[in-house]
Amino acid sequence: MISTRIQRHKLLFPGWVVSLGILVIAGLIAGIIVLVRGLIVTNLSDLVPWGLWITLDLSAIALSAGAFTLSALVYLLGLKELQPVARTAVFIGLIGYSMAMMMLFMDIGRPDRLWHALIYWNIHSPLWEVTMCICLYFSVLILEVIPIFGDADFMKGRWPRLSLRMTKVHYLAPFLAIAGLCLSMLHQSSLGATYGILKARPIWYRPGMAVLFIVSAAVAGPALVVLASRIASKITPKAKVKEELLDQVAKYIGFALLAYLYLRFWDAFSMSYTYEPARSEGLNMLTQGPLSFNFWVGEIILGIIVPSVILLSSRLRSHKSLQMLALLLVVGGLVAFRWDINLVGQLVVYGVLPQEMLPRYTQYTPSLIEILVAIGVIAYGVLAFTLGVRYLKVVDHQSETGHESHKKESTVIPAAVSTD
Amino acid sequence: MSTKTLERRDFLKIGAAGLAVLATGPTLAAKALREASSSASDSNEESAHSWAMVIDQAKCVGCGHCIQACRAYNDVSPDMEWTRLVEGEKLGGQQTFIPIPCMHCEDAPCVHVCLVGATTSRPDGIVMMDYDKCIGCRYCEVACPYGVRSFNWEKFDGDNPAVPTWGQPEVKRRPRGVVEKCSFCYQRIDRGLELGLKPGVDQAATPACVVACPMKARTFGDLNDPESEVSKQIAGHASYRLREGLGTGPRVYYLPVHGKSEEEVVS
Repeated sequence: MISTRIQRHKLLFPGWVVSLGILVIAGLIAGIIVLVRGLIVTNLSDLVPWGLWITLDLSAIALSAGAFTLSALVYLLGLKELQPVARTAVFIGLIGYSMAMMMLFMDIGRPDRLWHALIYWNIHSPLWEVTMCICLYFSVLILEVIPIFGDADFMKGRWPRLSLRMTKVHYLAPFLAIAGLCLSMLHQSSLGATYGILKARPIWYRPGMAVLFIVSAAVAGPALVVLASRIASKITPKAKVKEELLDQVAKYIGFALLAYLYLRFWDAFSMSYTYEPARSEGLNMLTQGPLSFNFWVGEIILGIIVPSVILLSSRLRSHKSLQMLALLLVVGGLVAFRWDINLVGQLVVYGVLPQEMLPRYTQYTPSLIEILVAIGVIAYGVLAFTLGVRYLKVVDHQSETGHESHKKESTVIPAAVSTD
Repeated sequence: MSTKTLERRDFLKIGAAGLAVLATGPTLAAKALREASSSASDSNEESAHSWAMVIDQAKCVGCGHCIQACRAYNDVSPDMEWTRLVEGEKLGGQQTFIPIPCMHCEDAPCVHVCLVGATTSRPDGIVMMDYDKCIGCRYCEVACPYGVRSFNWEKFDGDNPAVPTWGQPEVKRRPRGVVEKCSFCYQRIDRGLELGLKPGVDQAATPACVVACPMKARTFGDLNDPESEVSKQIAGHASYRLREGLGTGPRVYYLPVHGKSEEEVVS
């Protein structure tokens, strides 16, 4: 009985990796087609220039927010016991940001000029700030992940000295947590401001956009971390989780969902009072039009209300599979929000004439190539996490020794700084 | 317990240091921002010219000659239009038209949002594109209130159907993957000024669409010159600009059909 289970586990891993690998290769081929033939192979147009890839890009960044929120809890609020969860979060963050970068690389018309974003500055542009923060934050994430690689068994075995050195980057952990917090708070919100400052599109033009983006990210980011940790621990014995830690974070997500719902309510409600061209049409599109199912079911009911009930009731939350379902819904709700908000501003085509009262509408459905590239990037993310769980012990709440030493190390740094 | 409090206090110190770094950052940024914005808004005072276009809707018959001439002189792909034609309301059974080129906004949203600064405001008011800088993120397209920007979804190779019937290209064809738009035919203005010509008066120094219009519906000229045709038209007639409430300050003025006729009755 036990031996057949082990047998199945042995087959499970290579099968899983190979199927993900196939998806990655399919995405890669689609990506090469895009690079060769240009963005004409997408269903994007001058009326809807931002589509599925931007949605995935925004979602990947938002779902990486677990890294900064959990690091802040550990290093700034002193909730040391959450350290192993933060470790998972940082690894997921690194994957998420690399996914976002791949997506951007595909989405811009001149990927050969990606470096222009670093050389030529227009500090007026929210996207400039986003670019700078993403690059700096990606560096922070790499530094935060180095000790995880140093800790890996294959590193310790083959290059023990290098491994030791990499583990010592942990000295920087509190500094990195602060830098990461600042950078994340900046760009998670200014991604919302990227839309929120555009007066041309009244449904986007509202101060709440920046706030909604960062709050939804701070809710869904940790949700993905807990969800991924739980899935990993169900599938493989390599992932060792501490029930009470994950439960603690899950409960926090439940409360955060309520705060998020409160903001969403006032944001939408305040727009519903007077007619404003293009804004009212946009709101109608969300509440009654083609995006209404996504909005009510995807974003609000399944994305916020149902999971908050499950996560806040300790009886419901204690059912592991129910809790995982709730977390999955939170993640889905975030993606639905990013999809809807990105599209609604573009699908309402505002007329340019003063007397033109009725805006026109347009449509967008991603092309097969767009979908394949997106699937490829997602498969890469899942594959990277799978390998991380297997070889880097990114989901491991049990090995106490490492964390004890981190604690000691972190008390040493401030002294070292003052003597400098 | 003591380790814990020590840690907390030290982390606060680190936090304070971090905040200090953050505080100096914005000061520098604010300084750069002030310089950048002052150069953007004061630009009109530095230049001798302030270009603008007036489109008389009473004269426009929607023939599309402007689109064809623009396509030829600026080598615009058949898939896009730098100046598009929108049907306005019907007045007395007569269809009115609104030709829409780039508005060359004084406070252009596209200039604000371009992350690499590939689109900029010239001191004389022309909103320029630097096709060598553009990375093709299309944020400007999303930000433009007038929908006058076009993205090169594919390479435009092959013949331009408007050449040579409507004219010869004067500027380089844009590559795949960048955003392009109307430039007020800056090449004609700049070269014309060098030759001592007067844009808006001398045809060789005037935007191609203005020259091509058989109904003389389009007028081009310098707002800084009170004697220019555009200044006189704007002063003498009721005019409006598109989505004026946004505060973008378009440099394209429209003379409405009814407003115009009233004026003429009075005079």
